[in-house]
Amino acid sequence: MATSSLIADVTDNRPSNQEATVDLAGEGRTAASSGLKLFLWALAAASVLGFIGIAFRFINDGGRQEWGYYAATLAFMMTVFGGAPIVAIAPAIAKANWARPAARIASLASIATAMTALMMIPLLFKLPPLTVFSEALGDDIRRTSIWFDSPDYAPHFWNVLILLTLALAGLAMAYLMALPDFAAIRDHGSGWKQRWGKKLARGFHGRPQQWEWLKMRIGVTGAFYFAILLFANFTFSIDFAMSLVPGWKDAILPFYHTISSMQAGIAFTILGIWAARRWGGVSKYVGHEQMWSLGKLLLATTLLWFYFFYSSFIVFWYGRTATDTLTLKLLVSGPYIYVFWTVFLLAFIAPWWVMIWNKVRDSVWGPPIAATMVLIGLFFDRIRLYVASWSAEPDNLELAKLSMLEKMPDTVWPDVFDVFIMVGLPAFGLLGILLVTRLVPVVSLWEVQQSRLITKPIRFMRTHVMLVGKPD
Amino acid sequence: MVATNSVLGLYDNPDAGANAMDGLKSAGFPLGSFDVLTGTPYPEGAFGEYVPQHRLFRFPFFGAMVGLMLAILFTAGTQLAYPVITGGKPILAFFAMLIIAYELTMLGAVIATVVGIIFESRLPNLNLGAYDTRITEGYIGVVVECEDDRVEEARGVLQTAGALEIKTA
Amino acid sequence: MQQRRILDEFTINRELLRGNLNTPKWWLPTVLGLLVVVLFGFTLMGIMFNKGVGVTGLNRPVYWGLFITSFVFWVGISHAGIMISAILRLTQAEWRRPVTRAAELLTVFSLMTALFFPLIHAGRPWRIFYWITPFDFSRGIFPNPRSPLIWDPFAIGTYLTGSTLFLYVALLPDLGVLRDRTTGWKHSFYTVASLGWRGNPRQWRLQTVAGILLSALMLPIFVSVHSIVSWDFAVTPAVEGWHSTIFAPYFVIGAVHSGVSAVVTMMALMRWLWGWENYIRPEHFDALARLLIVVATGWLGFTFVELIFGVYSLEAPERALREMQMFTWPWNLLFLIFFLCAFAIPVPLWFFKRVRNNIAMMFWTSILVNIGMWLERFLIIVPGLARKQPFVFTWDSYTVSYLEWGLLLWSFAWVLMLMLLFSKFFPLIPLFETKESQLFTMDVKIGRANMPAVIRE
Repeated sequence: MATSSLIADVTDNRPSNQEATVDLAGEGRTAASSGLKLFLWALAAASVLGFIGIAFRFINDGGRQEWGYYAATLAFMMTVFGGAPIVAIAPAIAKANWARPAARIASLASIATAMTALMMIPLLFKLPPLTVFSEALGDDIRRTSIWFDSPDYAPHFWNVLILLTLALAGLAMAYLMALPDFAAIRDHGSGWKQRWGKKLARGFHGRPQQWEWLKMRIGVTGAFYFAILLFANFTFSIDFAMSLVPGWKDAILPFYHTISSMQAGIAFTILGIWAARRWGGVSKYVGHEQMWSLGKLLLATTLLWFYFFYSSFIVFWYGRTATDTLTLKLLVSGPYIYVFWTVFLLAFIAPWWVMIWNKVRDSVWGPPIAATMVLIGLFFDRIRLYVASWSAEPDNLELAKLSMLEKMPDTVWPDVFDVFIMVGLPAFGLLGILLVTRLVPVVSLWEVQQSRLITKPIRFMRTHVMLVGKPD
Repeated sequence: MVATNSVLGLYDNPDAGANAMDGLKSAGFPLGSFDVLTGTPYPEGAFGEYVPQHRLFRFPFFGAMVGLMLAILFTAGTQLAYPVITGGKPILAFFAMLIIAYELTMLGAVIATVVGIIFESRLPNLNLGAYDTRITEGYIGVVVECEDDRVEEARGVLQTAGALEIKTA
Repeated sequence: MQQRRILDEFTINRELLRGNLNTPKWWLPTVLGLLVVVLFGFTLMGIMFNKGVGVTGLNRPVYWGLFITSFVFWVGISHAGIMISAILRLTQAEWRRPVTRAAELLTVFSLMTALFFPLIHAGRPWRIFYWITPFDFSRGIFPNPRSPLIWDPFAIGTYLTGSTLFLYVALLPDLGVLRDRTTGWKHSFYTVASLGWRGNPRQWRLQTVAGILLSALMLPIFVSVHSIVSWDFAVTPAVEGWHSTIFAPYFVIGAVHSGVSAVVTMMALMRWLWGWENYIRPEHFDALARLLIVVATGWLGFTFVELIFGVYSLEAPERALREMQMFTWPWNLLFLIFFLCAFAIPVPLWFFKRVRNNIAMMFWTSILVNIGMWLERFLIIVPGLARKQPFVFTWDSYTVSYLEWGLLLWSFAWVLMLMLLFSKFFPLIPLFETKESQLFTMDVKIGRANMPAVIRE
């Protein structure tokens, strides 16, 4: 017996397409509330402090180890903002319908990635050269690096290029994913929003060819973004951390960096959804289903964090060669042991224990709690990796060539300017994202509408189920 | 109360089966005393059936605990009973023990889950009661467990819904 | 996506129980042929136990050769099952349905085969119990859990037990179907094996929850197994090319690559041998090929990073090893074959829709992958050992003996034979999943277009 004879239509309580258009692109969008304005000003003030911090580092430069917190902050920003767009890409490839309302929040993180790429430029001047002339040997000595033959401008220029490519790919994807919404703002908005919508919609009127063109472009930029994200994590984690420490050879680090980037990106999206529901007036469009699905992904990536960490740890711990022991001491049990335990607790144990319960995952408050812990934990993780690396300056270059860390550096504590940087730069990134959301709806209108088109609540004999279309 | 009879009505389409379920409900047969038998997992509640609660999620925790304790016993016990230093590792090498502990914890969880699935499915129970082999061929069976005095009433309800055949066991 | 046919439960039973209720003509001769090879293999093992491991090509300094390579290879193949059935179950991918049972089965049988290799490699397999089980209370000698070699039996034991139980639980509804279709001793056997399955809502609900819960429990085990196998190598600093932190995920993704390819091989065989065109359709091969493109590219990324880090620290011995592995005869030839088979030939081909939907092409490319992946393991294990090491005073290569080749052949015949025996008594394609899929999928009309749709609870 064919299934279609067992099903019947039921009334659909979800907001209609017209309602959604009004809410997300038309009169439903009000001017910024006074609370939001205050928050934006606070972020701006924090950003200024951040730049003061950077300026002070330049004026009063006390050596490479003083730049560790700056590097860690940028690494953290790249981790979070670079990883978030994956939430917009991966479920789309797997044809998962639930992710649609969360895709916008995730893709907008690219704005902050672009800002991170620009803020990395000052740090490049502090990255040591690949080769140094040694008086004792009368020859150049090169430090370990993935740029084996030291091509011109390596690694400095290439890192900016890679990170900018990442940012551009992300921005292109975010723009393409917002294109139909700009058209909706053009048609239904008013004032400056409408003018911008008109400019940015580029004559999009929703003809089938235009949709085909758009879907194709989103797919290509998405795949490209994913590839370049892996590559950016690869070069960044090695050039800005591993290769600064003589003897640290850890092939899993780039993947560890990437997987924690995805973990952070998911956490960021969860918090974004929570904030958008709380203050953005979109609780009708995004919520429980997204939290539940993202919560599962957060749990999975949290477990993977431990897996990648342990895979590297056990090899060093068993190896017990001099460099193995020194690496473990520098990154885990030595000057940053308390930082490490914070990471272990907040990036793994606590979110794992919170998210393992179905009741917590299945709520709108549980995943944000875990996400907050993950983000704090991963900030400490970047401090552990980058501050430690930037402090490990070899006194003796000949020893550095032997791949041996000569002496264990002391713990580097942040001064007040480091605190400015750690607070100010992420605030600056967040400010950029929030300003853009004044124009771009935080929930993608066309994806909500498409989702409504291809899913339908139905009655199946005596029960209610959802019919989900799987377009090719 | 011990159910003494099981009466089965066989239907060739799901709607008729659902009607039979409705009929039994309105005839006042207690929830849980009648059940629908299908050869395919239908969406939950498709027949308006009583959806039983289960406690499957407790089983893996219990199994994991047992597995973990066995692992600690094995790893710590063997190392303490035969304390030879190898590879420069401490006698109670935590990071090595962790690996075995992980495996045995998971093993305990899986075994307990499978035991839980069988137990919560109320299996094994080789006495099928009233049953028809056509159920695994697409027919729908509606089975009622009742006392002698309600057998006729049950048969009536099942018949009204359009049963092809009614069996009693 | 329009390849799906609407089938009733009666037809599904008749077609999918073809191998169980009416034995195909080719079945008995094939099983007997395989049995001959299997017996030959057991004879070879007997010869080896009698004469000692000297009859193999293993010698100083290469103590790990074809047996350990094949062990890693078969553990790798076993990663197919859980990858397919657990991940696809959790992501609710509709196309998983005809594939799950065969994939789980491949897990169970390839693990059973993998277990043989370290046992026979030890030369005196019965003595292995000394270092796994704590039973020698009289002498007070106990296993050493600090040794990575003892982690393997625990990991593989857990994985084997878990996947066997997983397979059995998902088999319960189908055993009920077989019980209803058989008579005599077979009926009695299926009655007991199905534990009295009736198909009431409670049992179906538990079946669904079990699929999800067991998948979630099996996934972390699946990841740990090949990681632990990789640590047999990676925690050893003395052998160049082994002491790398990337080994665990690198082995896991390699295993998924070879395992999913093995599932493709097997599905093609199932379609051809039992004529299941209605169930194993080109769209399934297409989906698996897309999955394989992603997996293979990920695997290539890991391979690339592994090589980069091989030479990262520019240590002379490590570089010399890489040079030998990739550029010195005969290793360079093996390396070339490995790379062509595991990636360069199949993956570009899979980019073409015509190849993805062509079952013969998918069959041959998936076999290429597994030739390549076997060589990958060989190239990881042997060259590192063949070079001069600290504490080892010889430097020699390794020639595989005929006996070892014979046992490699045995392993394939053994897995195939077990599969065919299974197919005689149990359905290879899950009946209830197929029926559920018929119930849960349909085409809906949107405007003038037909779109496949799925029911979600």
